[in-house]
Amino acid sequence: MRCNSMIRTTTALMLLSAVGAALVGRSASAAGLDPLSAARQVDELLAKEGFGAGQDANETPAAKADDQTFLRRVALDLIGHPPTPEDITAYSLDTSETKRLSAVERLLAKREFGENWARYWRDVIMYRRSEERALLVGPTVVSFLSDEFNGEAHWDKIARKFITATGDIREEGATAIIMAQNGVAEDTTAEISRIFLGIQIQCAQCHNHPTDRWKREQFHELAAFFPRIAVRAVKKDGDRRSFEIVSVDKERKKKEKDKPGRGNTEHYMPDLQKPEEEGKLMRPVFFVTGQKLESGEKDQDRRAQVAQWITSRKDRWFARAYVNRMWAELVGRGFYEPVDDIGPDRSCSAPHTLDYLADHFAGSQYDVKWLFRVITATDAYQRESRSRYEEGKAPFTANCPQRLRGDQLYNSLIAVLGIEDASPKERAKEADNYRAAMASPRGRVNVAFGYDPSAPRDEVAGSIPQALFLMNGAELNRGLNGRQPNTALGKLLGEIDKNDALVEELYLRCLAREPNPAEMETCLEYAKSVGNRSEAFEDILWSLVNSTEFLNRK
Amino acid sequence: MTLHLRHQIDVSLDRRGVFHRRDFLRGISAASIAAGTLSWRDVVSLQAADLTKRGRACIFLWMQGGPSHFETFSPKPGHANGGETKAISTSVAGIEVSENFPEFAKVMHEAAIIRSMTSKEGSHPRATYLMHTGYLPTASVKYPAFGSIVAQQLPRPELELPAFVRIGNNSRDGAGGGLLGIEFDPFAMPEAGKLPTNTTPATDFTRYDRRLGLLGRLDASYAGHGGQQEVAEHQKLYQKAARMIKSSQMKTFELDGEPDSVRAAYGDSQFGRSCLLARRLVETGIPCVEIVVNGWDTHFDNFPRVKEMAGQIDQPFAALIADLKQRGMLDSTLVVWTGEFGRTPKINPRAGRDHYPKAFNTVVAGGGVRGGQVIGRTDAGGGEVEDRPVTVNDLLQTFCKSLQIDSKIENIAPNGRPIKIVDGGQPVDELFA
Repeated sequence: MRCNSMIRTTTALMLLSAVGAALVGRSASAAGLDPLSAARQVDELLAKEGFGAGQDANETPAAKADDQTFLRRVALDLIGHPPTPEDITAYSLDTSETKRLSAVERLLAKREFGENWARYWRDVIMYRRSEERALLVGPTVVSFLSDEFNGEAHWDKIARKFITATGDIREEGATAIIMAQNGVAEDTTAEISRIFLGIQIQCAQCHNHPTDRWKREQFHELAAFFPRIAVRAVKKDGDRRSFEIVSVDKERKKKEKDKPGRGNTEHYMPDLQKPEEEGKLMRPVFFVTGQKLESGEKDQDRRAQVAQWITSRKDRWFARAYVNRMWAELVGRGFYEPVDDIGPDRSCSAPHTLDYLADHFAGSQYDVKWLFRVITATDAYQRESRSRYEEGKAPFTANCPQRLRGDQLYNSLIAVLGIEDASPKERAKEADNYRAAMASPRGRVNVAFGYDPSAPRDEVAGSIPQALFLMNGAELNRGLNGRQPNTALGKLLGEIDKNDALVEELYLRCLAREPNPAEMETCLEYAKSVGNRSEAFEDILWSLVNSTEFLNRK
Repeated sequence: MTLHLRHQIDVSLDRRGVFHRRDFLRGISAASIAAGTLSWRDVVSLQAADLTKRGRACIFLWMQGGPSHFETFSPKPGHANGGETKAISTSVAGIEVSENFPEFAKVMHEAAIIRSMTSKEGSHPRATYLMHTGYLPTASVKYPAFGSIVAQQLPRPELELPAFVRIGNNSRDGAGGGLLGIEFDPFAMPEAGKLPTNTTPATDFTRYDRRLGLLGRLDASYAGHGGQQEVAEHQKLYQKAARMIKSSQMKTFELDGEPDSVRAAYGDSQFGRSCLLARRLVETGIPCVEIVVNGWDTHFDNFPRVKEMAGQIDQPFAALIADLKQRGMLDSTLVVWTGEFGRTPKINPRAGRDHYPKAFNTVVAGGGVRGGQVIGRTDAGGGEVEDRPVTVNDLLQTFCKSLQIDSKIENIAPNGRPIKIVDGGQPVDELFA
């Protein structure tokens, strides 16, 4: 390692011990069960449920991932950025037994932690938007959730804010789910059930669900909590336009002719035989527990009530839905797949493990960080990766490679190119204009590489434009130029004389690990055969940025 | 190519209820993927590619904003609703179009006008989505654009370019591959006349191949450490992308080689170049091209604005039909001109027309359509469909009939729901009589 890394390393180590001390203090006062004991319990339960050691030969769990693999994985998972070469050095030099735990603590304390998961949930919500104008709420929901996740981060409180949100969508990020569904009662209902309960009750909107127990009435009874939401345009000076979510508790005079029942203060279930008629008046009933309200309640009272029932600790759906999704993101496979379909008639691969996690997550008062601490401390999380559907291998006996989301990829690219992320000023501008946000470098990478996080991961495939962007993108390739002294590679070529040290540095920057001997040999031979050093290393860096490993977290 | 083919196979297997994609992947050994020895897949795909479908293609001329039917192909001179727009005669006795389309009038005998389109969706995004997919947007299922369906259903193993190309800036969401996966997304290019984004190789081909070789070797190392499936897919994608940019078919995107007379016929405009490129792409084997033209949302100053829009469209549209005819491609190439809805019969105080889904018009030509006919009729005021209403799904069924796509084929959404290519509706059979 170079000496400037060493200096930073020392500082990092000092920081590290400070964090270690903080960790001890925090554990003592935490509300939830001690994360490490919980993680041990999870691994034992998994083993009992058939996903541990000592089953048959095919199901031998993968070995524990090495430190560098773990660090890149956990950094991309928690903060959405790869570790820097300095992080890696500091981490490698740390000899304490709890170094993985302290790394997690360090990441959870970073501003990027909240931002990363805010962007994740923005994608969960916005990929299901029904209209393009809902994109306006994108930057607002990111800033709302960043603050929530970096603050107390209780999932039930966050959920209640989403369910009861009102106000200008450029000021109230919690309006995102409603705005994404344009305030339409049925669609909002479907999304709230899907996101917070993992129950796809909207399949019962038009017919009784073919594979679940829910009846058409039950969907419409849930929708009856949301008939009084409206999306209104907010006219502001100049061209600044926005929308607001409002409660409409007075009967609207003008009804929509083509949509009988819409615009009412109560919800009506359409008669499928007579769609032109108003349909049947539905009373608000929460399908999970049968708890109900009278008709005539005000919008805010209805929504606050159903939000309480949905997030209640008496019932497991809410906790299970969140745990299942986070487990799938981190370990690579969900207990249920797809992650947002965990209804009572779906099968769960390890029900006891899931219930254990769900119950203790609820017990921690839905402490988001508690769950991250537990999952990242399990053996299931810390094992080496195997391809998602490797023949004959059971889930949870290895981690699975995950394709980077657009933001994670963008963060990885700027780290490699040594360029800064957008400044706070630029961000503020983008927050004000979603088109500008989409046209920004981050926005373009997100458009090209983003995917719906709820989609089954084997459905998430690469595309030709993605490949073309990484292969030929003009901006990117200018950044990979080694003959310019101001590019990252140009600087490194000037600073590092020895080819093996330079190969090592590029591997650390791109893949957060050292090259193995075979890779080192391939690169050194390549450099030798090309002759021109700048040209050779441009090609090596290009290959690393275009590699499968760069696009995935393993 | 493989990603593309896999869906072909999956769909047919799903329909028989035998396999889902995941099972399929589980069922074959990871080693065979890594080794790339999947030739039997190609065999299956070749059998699937019905030879009679080989030459079928479609070109969608998408008029974003909702063009006024009064000022395009359903003029109502003599009625207050018709405004100042006059009607002119065409190459077919008895059929008149608006004065804004003099060149199209000359090829009327090759085209059919549907004057009785009707829908309920009056908002741009919802109506645009409906017209592209046959479904309204929902949170649970992302429906594929019809162009993506065409790319999926009319596979072209010999094609080195993307199977669905969308030319022009679409500010609205015209939908993409949806549940079919991003490999069926339209390959978007903002304008015709130059190479699409990021297709100019970063280096010369010798060095490019050298780089790809190095990438392959470094990737192989990751494949050996738990990433074999990911590496196999990545390598195939890169091979496909590299094959594309190195392909001689990339010349299709360049219009320089066209004779001056042909370029003049299409006209020196963005839409003219787009139409010429569309013809070239279809000639090369691309089964679906969509050209997006914005600007039809004429809430004010409707008359001069539609005249201006029509002025951009008329000559290239007519030239495209004539050129396809002259090359013997019109019979197998369906050309569709449509927007998402029509405009209000009553002229508003700003001399504009507002959104009106209840009655609008669409033009179809080629692809087996008998030219020189009009389907349906609106009343004297242009506000009510009086005869032979055609819904959006009827129109999509008509496209399927022309392209010989079985509209009853079901694709499976990630939540397990089977989604028909077109759900309901009947093709407008008279078009093909």
